[in-house]
Amino acid sequence: MTPRSKPRIEFVALLAACALFLSTIEYLIPKPLPFMRLGLANLPLIIALGLLSWKEYLLLALLKVLGQALISGTIFSYIFLFSLAGTTASILIMLLLYNVLKKRVSLIGISIAGAMASNIAQLLLSRYLLFGEAAKLVAPPFLIVGLVTSIILGVFAQQFIAKSRWYKGVQ
Amino acid sequence: MTPIRVGDIIIFLLAVALIIGSFSFYSTISGKPEVRVKSGAGESIYDLSVDTQATFKGPVGETTIEIRGGQVHVSESDCRNKVCISAGWISSPGEWIICLPNNVFVRIEGSLEEGSPDDTSF
Repeated sequence: MTPRSKPRIEFVALLAACALFLSTIEYLIPKPLPFMRLGLANLPLIIALGLLSWKEYLLLALLKVLGQALISGTIFSYIFLFSLAGTTASILIMLLLYNVLKKRVSLIGISIAGAMASNIAQLLLSRYLLFGEAAKLVAPPFLIVGLVTSIILGVFAQQFIAKSRWYKGVQ
Repeated sequence: MTPIRVGDIIIFLLAVALIIGSFSFYSTISGKPEVRVKSGAGESIYDLSVDTQATFKGPVGETTIEIRGGQVHVSESDCRNKVCISAGWISSPGEWIICLPNNVFVRIEGSLEEGSPDDTSF
């Protein structure tokens, strides 16, 4: 496959579709607490770091947030705000790290940083919007789950970009 | 080539430090039990360990609460049934007394002592 320069919007659509597919899979998995999620849908976002310009990347993130909200029916509820805040925080950190420290950090570190940013944004939001001081109580388990799942996703993403022929073709 | 780089380890350690730091929230939130009284005028907070009295105005008159020896009760109320006074003394977090006619709601908030039955239902 030869690298193409023009139709990169295709990748945005493909990766967004992939994110939505993974969110749907994730909704099938029972969760002990509503906010404890695997974050499977973030996998395309991590992989896309090396493929898209920052404008395309923001578009992808927006599609992911809107699409997830449509699938889960939360688009007009407060959960949408949480999703938006978490995704915004994580993509900003991930874009920053990827572009500034490209040589010194792999997708594993970027994934961890993104998950932490997302979790912190959501915790702050729940602190000021919903639960008040009690939000602090969920912080430790929430962050631990985020750390573990983000390491798994990061390792997977790193393996993917190292081995995938599709990735090499479109890069 | 190993995929793990210096930045990954630094980020991982920062994340772990953040998690360890977040556990300190548990100690700050478990403060002394406090008495929260909600009435028509708003919410007032009292320390359960300080003896005091307070009077709240409501639709049918005045309701007086008394805190003494780590317990709280409604000592006087202008309501008809005096259910709030019959409720007696309360002292544990989660307990409450309510005077519906006079719109006064007294509850105790704070952390439970370890091993008390309500720990598991949290």
